[in-house]
Amino acid sequence: MKPSDPLKVVSQLLDLPLIDCNGNYCGIVDDVAFTGGGGKEARLDALLVGPGAYRGRMPRWAMWLVRKIAGDRMTRVPIAKVKSIDSAVHLTGAAEKLSLHDVENRVRAHIPRVGAM
Amino acid sequence: MNPLELTLGIMTAVGGFVDISELVFAAKAGSMFGYALIWVFALATGGIMVFGEMSGRVAAVAKQPVFNLMRHRLGLKLGLVTLFASLIANLITCAAEIGGVALVLRYLTGAPYLLMAVLAAAVLMASMWVLPFKWIERIYGLLGLFMLAFIAALVAIHAPWGKIAGGFVPQVPHGLSTKEYLVFAYFAVAIVSAVMFPYEAYFYSSGGIEEEWGPKDLPMNKVTCTAGFGLGSLLSIAILASSAQLFTPANVSPELLGSSALEVAIPFGWIGLVIALLGMLFAISGAAIETCMANAYSISQFFGWEWGRHRKPWDAPRFTVTWTVLFVAALAIILTGIDPMQLVEYAVLFSILVLPLTYLPLLLLAGDKSYMKEHANGRFGKTLGWFYFALITAAALGALPLYVLTSGGQG
Repeated sequence: MKPSDPLKVVSQLLDLPLIDCNGNYCGIVDDVAFTGGGGKEARLDALLVGPGAYRGRMPRWAMWLVRKIAGDRMTRVPIAKVKSIDSAVHLTGAAEKLSLHDVENRVRAHIPRVGAM
Repeated sequence: MNPLELTLGIMTAVGGFVDISELVFAAKAGSMFGYALIWVFALATGGIMVFGEMSGRVAAVAKQPVFNLMRHRLGLKLGLVTLFASLIANLITCAAEIGGVALVLRYLTGAPYLLMAVLAAAVLMASMWVLPFKWIERIYGLLGLFMLAFIAALVAIHAPWGKIAGGFVPQVPHGLSTKEYLVFAYFAVAIVSAVMFPYEAYFYSSGGIEEEWGPKDLPMNKVTCTAGFGLGSLLSIAILASSAQLFTPANVSPELLGSSALEVAIPFGWIGLVIALLGMLFAISGAAIETCMANAYSISQFFGWEWGRHRKPWDAPRFTVTWTVLFVAALAIILTGIDPMQLVEYAVLFSILVLPLTYLPLLLLAGDKSYMKEHANGRFGKTLGWFYFALITAAALGALPLYVLTSGGQG
């Protein structure tokens, strides 16, 4: 399915994994953002990725816990960067360029590059 | 299907089937109820075959691991509840497995138990770091085939094959007191839990992604699940039957993990004892790694991180940190001094409580045509799936009352 095709947001997009152009996992569609407003045509504008996007999807106490453990960062992925949607959302760009691998890279810096076959 | 790959896959599944809880409960069940609980092992093995095949099929067709799709299917809130429940069950199980490895090392070397636990954890973590997925799976699975000594021992003690075959027929022993019937029911529930531990299906599914399965691998998936798990289950049944043959007449209750190894020592002497202990060592070590990795897979897939042991540890950094932390946490549970046999009881109890929650999404996914297309569950698969779901739900509902009423199977 292309992002321009008719789409059921909840059953066909929300909570799907994101895979970048190199085949790397780079998050989950935690929420979506629309343009437009009351009385205007709503258009899917961006996918929201990261624990900050859980707001409104979880009870307040659980959100407090999430913020304490994982922070509240959130990355917007413009819908123009989506190539296709099936059992995952495939992106046209690399995770690094879309700021989706910031935490992976930060953690990677602390892992010794020795010993693995 | 490559015959060599298929044979290796089946042998790995056989060697990796048995873990500490099956060893403990099979030996106890045989000594207490003779051959009367064999049918429960057979029934539960059917369940792990059904759900294992489904998880492999989902991985091969949807090309996504179960926990990724599970979150999409259940949503964030219910998905988090499922994730949390399976995390706790797998963490307790992982700790029990590390305790089991430490006990076997203590039997083999005479060194202090806690020191062996630290050593075991260090060696297992090192092998998880160094070895890629396929090697981890094959090494522990194939070395676990030392467990075949239990089948050889059963043959050597001239087992009553007629009685063992009779044990496959569903039955409840006659003439027991009410309390003994409750203990029998508790053991039945515990065996279902031990055979169908939730980590097994998730590990298997993630393994399918690690090895890049596709629809062409579906026949291999089916054969591996049925032959591998089926033959693996025969090991547990052999342990139960030997226990019934050797321990029941002597009125011995195999409370210790090492009691199971005596089943091989009696016919084959010290060589048999060492082979049985080596088989237990590798089988339980493999299970410790699988439970830890199943948890790391689940967390990473749920949050969309890079994951997998087909990659170098630094290529999936958060996954690497997750399995490291989980393994250290499981070791920390053991270092509190808790009795590993008690931990096995808790692992079995908690796993059965969360089993319906962890297998329901899998059942829904495997039947969902939007993901699975022509490979979605057919009528036969659906019937079997829902039958086993009803069975584990009934077992989950009965588990806690039975645990309390029987003081954890003590009567």
